[in-house]
Amino acid sequence: MGTRQGASIKKLGLVLGCTLCLHAQTPVVLGTAGTFGVLAASTVTNTGPSVISGNLGVSPGLAVTGFPPGSVTGTIYTGVGSLAGTAQNDLTTAYLNAQGRSCPVLNLPGDIGGMTLLPGVYCNSSTSLGITGTVTLNGNGDPNAVFIFQIGTALTTASNSNVHLIGGAQASNVFWQVGSSATVGTASVFNGIILAQASITLTTGAVFNGRALARTGAVTLDSNLGTNPDTAPPASVPAPPTLILVVAGLAIATLYLKREQLLARFRRT
Amino acid sequence: MTRTRQAYIVLTAAALALCYASTLRGMFEQWSIDEDMSHGFVVPIVVLWIVWRERERWQSLPAKPSWWGLALLAAGAGMQILAVFGGGLFAASVAFLVSVAGAVLYLGGFVYLRAWTFPFLLALFMLPKLAIVYSQVTFPLQIIASRIAATMLGAVGVAVIREGNILDVAGHRVSVQEACNGIRYLLSLGFIAVVYAYLADSKPWMRLALLAVVAPIAIFANALRVAVSGLVPALDAGTPHAVAGYIVFVLCVAILILMRGLFHTVYTRYHA
Repeated sequence: MGTRQGASIKKLGLVLGCTLCLHAQTPVVLGTAGTFGVLAASTVTNTGPSVISGNLGVSPGLAVTGFPPGSVTGTIYTGVGSLAGTAQNDLTTAYLNAQGRSCPVLNLPGDIGGMTLLPGVYCNSSTSLGITGTVTLNGNGDPNAVFIFQIGTALTTASNSNVHLIGGAQASNVFWQVGSSATVGTASVFNGIILAQASITLTTGAVFNGRALARTGAVTLDSNLGTNPDTAPPASVPAPPTLILVVAGLAIATLYLKREQLLARFRRT
Repeated sequence: MTRTRQAYIVLTAAALALCYASTLRGMFEQWSIDEDMSHGFVVPIVVLWIVWRERERWQSLPAKPSWWGLALLAAGAGMQILAVFGGGLFAASVAFLVSVAGAVLYLGGFVYLRAWTFPFLLALFMLPKLAIVYSQVTFPLQIIASRIAATMLGAVGVAVIREGNILDVAGHRVSVQEACNGIRYLLSLGFIAVVYAYLADSKPWMRLALLAVVAPIAIFANALRVAVSGLVPALDAGTPHAVAGYIVFVLCVAILILMRGLFHTVYTRYHA
């Protein structure tokens, strides 16, 4: 109880603290890297029917395997002389920019699952960062809200974990600067742009709304759905409120049950 | 019923309302602001109506107050204290129902608690969302709705690209967000199924049977709604979108009524 309370107080303090001390950030400029859904340095390896929005590139390496069965909505570029080479240069600039943003005194714990975070720059107290369960990024009503995570070494998300965006937060404005490699867990949902120093692995069935950009290593995919975070938001199709549904449903059920009495009354009149 | 007994009941109800005022306010607030839970307003009305409808049955029962009621009241109070220290609105709401059950047991005994079992179970529909469960269910439901909608469109020859929870139908993109995941159909239809089974049938198993078919009906109906919104751009926003949502839900209720008829027919033939 005490530990849980302590954790809750710590989280509350973190959120409040961030509200007070985090300055509005500008997005990290990706340049040509921003046209790539997947960008690697050595290889891109895919298993299963992955779908990648945008371009796919490797530079300085050349190896791209697993397409098909995977598919890319843009173009596949390989080699230093291609657009992938230019994108790698732009990725380096973007990576250093994200890494260089000043981080407030407050640090994230080693695992941010269960937390709700407001826009700003975050750095973690331990060298690696985990996400178990759901981490909610709340844009606070600002569609231009920027989140930058500076992670010393690895980013690892657990199976079925979830980077959840609310309050207008957009995947195109969430940047994960990873000091070594990133692994997105099986069947998890990930939002944001990963700028990894080494490699990126999207494990089986992970849904990825963002970009996987690796500076020196490989990107490995397995039956993933990678969507383009920059595309205009599609129409949302919410269901009607439950109050109206229940009232309408009960009315229909009652009318049906009373149909014979109603018909008899109708005939009499 | 003696006047003293009536006074006890009124005093107990007032004490419960007072003790749980903040919880009840929280529940009302959630029903007001959360469109997934707005049916909460209807639930207590229906529950009280069922209690009133059954009054002849329970009024004839002999009241046998039980001390176990105090144990339930204490358990409810304990839960409420835990809720205050971080358990949240869900725990507080459960504590409220436990306390009401405790009061019924203390004043009327097990016969009354048994007589009101169905209204008590029905009252579970007004509990607030349990965040841990909700967040685990939301995304899978979004993906299921998107997947089934894409399959439906593909089956009728419409080219569709599904990227996660986004459907692209010839350039027209629709996103299955949290509010589109089918949970609203699921909760609403679940409540209607139980109430309809209660009104149409005296057999308690029918309520469970109808409740069991709610999930597939709601999930497929919601996917149909998403598919239609993807296919006809005019239906993805505003009044046309809302009307399409209601029409699909009316279909769900019709299927539910048909299913009850089917179960009833099978049961009657089997027993004949």
